[in-house]
Amino acid sequence: MMNERASKFSTAGLLADRKVTQLMAFTAFTFLIFSYFSSDIFFTPENFISMAYQVPEIAILSIAVMLSMLTGGIDLSIVGISNASALIASYIMTQKMSEEGAISNSWILIACLVGILMGLLCGAINSILIAVLNVTPILATLATMTLFNGIAIGITNGVSVSDLPEQFMRIGNGTFFGVPSPFILMLIIAGFVGYLINRTGLGLKVFLIGTNRKAAQYSVMGDRKVIAWTYVISGLLSALAGLIIASRTSAASPDFGNSYILLAIVIVVLGGVNPMGGFGTVTGVVLATIVLQMVSSGFNALRFSQFFYLAAQGGVLVLVMILNAVLEKRRISKSINKSLGS
Amino acid sequence: MDIKKLLLRNETVLIFAIIIFSLVIGSKSPEFFTLANLFDILRSSFVQLLFALGVLIVIISGGIDVSFPIVGIFSGYTAVIIMQKLELNPESLFIPIVLAVLIGIALGGFNAIAIAGFGIPTLIATLGTAGIFRGVMLSFIGASFISDIPIGLDKFSTADLVKFESDAGTLVRLHVLVIPVAIITILVALLLSRTIFGRSVYALGGGTEPTRRLGISVKRTQAKIYMLVGGLSGLAGILYVSLQRKANPYDLAGSELDVIAAVVLGGASIMGGYGTVFGTVLGVLFINMIKNNLVLLGVSSSWQRAAVGVLLVIGITIQAISENRKNKRQKSASDSEVA
Repeated sequence: MMNERASKFSTAGLLADRKVTQLMAFTAFTFLIFSYFSSDIFFTPENFISMAYQVPEIAILSIAVMLSMLTGGIDLSIVGISNASALIASYIMTQKMSEEGAISNSWILIACLVGILMGLLCGAINSILIAVLNVTPILATLATMTLFNGIAIGITNGVSVSDLPEQFMRIGNGTFFGVPSPFILMLIIAGFVGYLINRTGLGLKVFLIGTNRKAAQYSVMGDRKVIAWTYVISGLLSALAGLIIASRTSAASPDFGNSYILLAIVIVVLGGVNPMGGFGTVTGVVLATIVLQMVSSGFNALRFSQFFYLAAQGGVLVLVMILNAVLEKRRISKSINKSLGS
Repeated sequence: MDIKKLLLRNETVLIFAIIIFSLVIGSKSPEFFTLANLFDILRSSFVQLLFALGVLIVIISGGIDVSFPIVGIFSGYTAVIIMQKLELNPESLFIPIVLAVLIGIALGGFNAIAIAGFGIPTLIATLGTAGIFRGVMLSFIGASFISDIPIGLDKFSTADLVKFESDAGTLVRLHVLVIPVAIITILVALLLSRTIFGRSVYALGGGTEPTRRLGISVKRTQAKIYMLVGGLSGLAGILYVSLQRKANPYDLAGSELDVIAAVVLGGASIMGGYGTVFGTVLGVLFINMIKNNLVLLGVSSSWQRAAVGVLLVIGITIQAISENRKNKRQKSASDSEVA
């Protein structure tokens, strides 16, 4: 009995590792292919630096989606939240600048804090709908996505805010010991979320809820509270991603990154997160982001259209899901055969 | 008891909401209560209603489809391209519609393979196929705006059933589409309530395992659902092209939310198993009424999306609360039984 349990645990551990290993191999493979076909554009330091600037924002958004997916839900409002937060922060900054001609660092900090607060607030609205009122996550976040987007459009009359202060732009465009600072921010955030889900009680509960909500309910551990926290954290991460995007591009717009929802879900699924909940790793998600960014840069270098990349995203999503389904079926039939044989 | 039940029905609530909303707008601006405005709301609802009927079927079956607007514009746009490339009779209205419906069914077939064939969760499958369809259309079929659509389609956009000048001098027009759309709506209602297929759709929404035990093939039912929705979306797409008098491949993307919102406001349960065509019709009319007339209410156009969002949040909250109450009542009933 003990042995059986121990072996079960070790295979689960192996499986987790296997998914990350597969992904690493896949990353290397993508890297080699594009480096071979486009050695003059893809395989250059400039390209890798520009990728290091583009990866963080989408990686952070994907981690936000992953968190909600681990509990068996989904958060479709991430892009709405990130745009709303970035717009509010940018609005405060540009207002201050036009009033006084210049802006102090403390006001930039205040603007960023207000943006983050906006993210937390949006996350809290999702939490209330999902955890308190029992609305299905897809539906709740579909509705709030429209709402947050609408608020962003309403505040700015639908136009984008640009010409943000230079000090603010330095966050998204600067380097820290030679590494682009957004990339470092992403590593910190990924580390934080990784710690949260793997080393804390909250994280354990997140996995339990995703694996079996009923069991979680019967164990009286406050499943609603856990779910509420996931959506608040997801809102916080989206706001951070929004601020990074604003600071990198020096602009915020209500319809920025509409395609990011599909992309984030593709990344999360490719990163080995189970869409039904209960399984996923931060490492997998970050690796998957890097793979897709390489595909995007590679397609760019090879002069494929951006729509071809869109089709590729969809294709990757469907193929990964099909592969998972087929492998799962084979694993089940194998284990049935095994138990029948013995 | 029955009256109370009737009053609590989603459709009744919606009818009241529509009446109250009309009275509020009407008291602010009398032009709301004109035949012209009513016909305008109808005209802007046709395409959405066709999409919504498809979405309703999917939602009743317990799934969700976010690829239908892309399927629609893909079918409409591609049908126009085929008409031009093969130089088919441009006077014909019949050929492009049939083409679009066939393309829609084929695209729905892809969804069916992913969902019924491999058991991929419906949201993820349709998100993926939406990306594929859009990408394929824009990179291989065409990415440019076509303004000279075939004459047959172009003429159809002004085919009015009733057309006269009102006393105030405004042109009152009721598009001829009102008849076929009404027929399709009734057919879908009959399909859902009177056929074995329709009842299997409801059963599927109740749960896949019970459906299987009833002896209904889950996969076959799902495949039929997604192909039917593809066909409906294709039809909606070509009618959209015709009514707009142009084929723009960038259109419709992003409109999925409004349609899903209309269906959900119409009382369909996103968990599956419940939903009516009548509710959906009311939902579509309600959303279009609000969208067309928020300006009359004094809501500036930049806040319209937020207003729709607020409405959606309210709608789903009411639904969730009544659902919670029902569950609690059932639970306490079963508890007292045990005691």
